[in-house]
Amino acid sequence: MVSLGLAVHLAAVVLPPLASPPPASLLANQLIQPLRPYVGLLYLWHGYRFFAPDPGPGHSLRWSLVTAEGVILDGSIPDADSDWPRLMYHRRFMIPEKLSGMIPPIDAPEEIRREARLDWGPLVEAVAAELLSRYQGVTVSLDMVEHYLPTPGDIIDRRENRPAAAPDAWRDRVTPLGTYALTTAAEPASSEPASSLPPAALDVGGGR
Amino acid sequence: MSQRGNTGPSGTPHGQGATAASPGWVRSWDRFWFTPADAYPLAMVRIGTGLLLAWASFVWLLDIEAFFGPGGWLPSHEVWRMNDQPWQWSWYFATSSSAVRMALGILTMIAGLTLAAGMATRLSAVVAFAGLVSAANRAPLNVFGFDDTLGMLLISLVIGPAGACLSIDRWLQGRLYGSGRGGQQPEQGGPLQSGSVSANVALRLLQCHLCVVYFFSGAGKLLGASWWEGTALWGAAANGQYRTLDLTWMADMPLLINALTLTTLFWEVAYAAIVWPRLTRPWAIGMGVAVHLGIGLAMGMMEFGLAMIVANMAFVPAATWRRWTAAIGPVRVEQVVELSSPGVG
Repeated sequence: MVSLGLAVHLAAVVLPPLASPPPASLLANQLIQPLRPYVGLLYLWHGYRFFAPDPGPGHSLRWSLVTAEGVILDGSIPDADSDWPRLMYHRRFMIPEKLSGMIPPIDAPEEIRREARLDWGPLVEAVAAELLSRYQGVTVSLDMVEHYLPTPGDIIDRRENRPAAAPDAWRDRVTPLGTYALTTAAEPASSEPASSLPPAALDVGGGR
Repeated sequence: MSQRGNTGPSGTPHGQGATAASPGWVRSWDRFWFTPADAYPLAMVRIGTGLLLAWASFVWLLDIEAFFGPGGWLPSHEVWRMNDQPWQWSWYFATSSSAVRMALGILTMIAGLTLAAGMATRLSAVVAFAGLVSAANRAPLNVFGFDDTLGMLLISLVIGPAGACLSIDRWLQGRLYGSGRGGQQPEQGGPLQSGSVSANVALRLLQCHLCVVYFFSGAGKLLGASWWEGTALWGAAANGQYRTLDLTWMADMPLLINALTLTTLFWEVAYAAIVWPRLTRPWAIGMGVAVHLGIGLAMGMMEFGLAMIVANMAFVPAATWRRWTAAIGPVRVEQVVELSSPGVG
């Protein structure tokens, strides 16, 4: 009986990284179905693809907020200067890193961008609402910034004051995510009591 | 799973029912999982894990409403978009007051500290695990490999007798029963014994889990061109969002970048094979310590690096741990020859 339990546990350890993230087999996805409650209970649903398949560029969320007094505040998530200790920086750094995987590039077809927005839209609205409530803002504009990942050649060129070889070298890719204003939630969307629902942020333009 | 260390009359470890007539693989399975083992490595894992969890909990507490409150970076009613609800539970889903959330966060931090100290160890491990999972499932937008690793470590600490040595529990047991202080005496009574089947099961689970982590991490890298080209390490070193140590001087040393990248890749892919034999185990673990310390120092992910090093500690034999700890402090070293140290070869 103990051996059976061990075998089930090992299956619950091995199958999640086989079943996600893509590419993943149909077989692994079928086999993991009966184990989903167990995998969820023990927090085992991980892919373990650290820095795979390739270490990519870093991301941040750039924001510009207007307060009721008309003061403009700018910031970034994460912010290496204010997010301390370093673990806090990483907790906040994960927000743009995870959102970036859901947001298509600025030159993606309109249809793809519209569909993707159904996924990332509510998450970005939540980030906007948190910023508005944190800084007592009236509106906040958000951009996803994909930071340029320099090549060794870029570093050497810059050090030796040579012009960059590639025309887009050192240029970050910026994707506007919209401008948001605080509003009250129209209807409860969860089991939370309506009175405890957080204020929602509504996109008031500029988003893609 | 609660079975204590028991050896046969000849000192041969009991299995779960395998006999001489059982097929070889059944006997191997039993020997692998059910040979009583010294819990000393588990105690070392416990101390490291408890301290890391306490630190992680402290950092969550610094901005707890933004992470676990009804609004925050990811409102509770939007969490389902990020993970496999309803199976991914969290006690923060059931809280409606910020005071309760704060209390639960503090409870997790205290559980991490008591776990490290080995005080009410099993209860501490259960509460610590519940706290970790609750935090990770409530804030999936903010978790990363560090949290995955802590979860892996805590499962073993819930299962095994992690407080059997180097613990307040053990010290109290010594006061109550007048038996071993920090050592192990498997045939003696008392609620805690450091040599046990459950210690072996816990360490084996952690060892196997760690091999799975490295295998899939390495296999995932094989899909990436930069790992084959030997340039992936540059991608990590030049990423300004991660960087805490300027390694861009390596721009002039492409062959060094290649060597470091390929060494990391081969080590990770091969880890599950080279960590078991005695001959190669020190190299596998030593390389792990170097890689994870390097990631911690250069990319600012020290907590993740330390958590992975703590996981690797499960592969260090108990006798080695006892020798090291005896060298640095007044820890009583007792050898019990019939117990195994998890590991083969």
